Amino acid sequence: MATFTRDAAVRLILVRLARLGQELGKPVLAQADEQTRLFGEASPLDSIGLVTLMADLEDDIHQAAGVWVTIADEKAMSRLTSPFRRVGLLADHIVELVATAQT
Amino acid sequence: MPVAIITGSSRGLGRALAESLLADGWTVHGFARSPQTLAHPHFQAHAVDVGQESSVQAAVTTVLAAGRIDLLINNAGAASMNALLLTPAATAEALMRVNYLGTLHCLQAVGKVMVRQRAGLVVNLTTVVVPLSLAGEAAYVASKAAVEALTKVAAAELQSQGVRVNAVGLGPVDTDLTRAVGADKLHTLNRRIGRPQGTTLAEAVAFIAQEWRTPSLATGSIRYLGELT
Repeated sequence: MATFTRDAAVRLILVRLARLGQELGKPVLAQADEQTRLFGEASPLDSIGLVTLMADLEDDIHQAAGVWVTIADEKAMSRLTSPFRRVGLLADHIVELVATAQT
Repeated sequence: MPVAIITGSSRGLGRALAESLLADGWTVHGFARSPQTLAHPHFQAHAVDVGQESSVQAAVTTVLAAGRIDLLINNAGAASMNALLLTPAATAEALMRVNYLGTLHCLQAVGKVMVRQRAGLVVNLTTVVVPLSLAGEAAYVASKAAVEALTKVAAAELQSQGVRVNAVGLGPVDTDLTRAVGADKLHTLNRRIGRPQGTTLAEAVAFIAQEWRTPSLATGSIRYLGELT
């Protein structure tokens, strides 16, 4: 099975954010980058938007990497630095999840 | 062809609901711990313990491989009649695991799929004994009250993504399960909900089926069969 790279994870997140931006009427999401905040006051997403992003991404990951992962798993929720804070951190988390699921 | 998952589908109300959905042209996936004997080209049985998150997750992944999920009916449940001060902790825990956690596990796994689809309907089974605060069923009432609370919160959270979550509450339905309960107890409860004649399986199914046959029903609603005063 091919390695699922960090670049691939970032791309998935940014594409999904852009689509979500269209759906939610928040075009600013199309300009997201690795530093974009995914929750909190500085984020363009509300809590439901973040949940929707996670659900959509799990499907995208399945399409791209052939494995189902749960992005908001207990390990992620208990980390000191939340993987959901920024796009880049989420990409790191996804790469880790996919690698674990593929082994 | 729309796709439904129904839990507790091996017998009684769950099986009757599965048959009703099949008659309405649905593809039905039945989740149950016990062996399932329903034979129909559009019915698929899955061995699932709803109290175990991993068991639910694996089964939902299997269902999803064939496409989408339009309807989830959280029917699996357990009941126990005990006076509050005599209810063993293990009984209370078991009821909470099946009734509340079972519903939660299925709602989480399927809810995520429905959010992706931006559409779906979840129907949770509750009971009239919640609004009646029926004495002698503290643990059961509490576990179903938790299901009702979960229903309202889930409806509020998922509404913007096109997912409706409702609950329906029944009194005693004429099944093997209730036939083991004393007739006088059943009669008293049936009278309290304005249904002295009781509720047949067909009546219960028809009441629940309004959920998928009437898409205009509001989300977050809890409907009871009977007159609660």
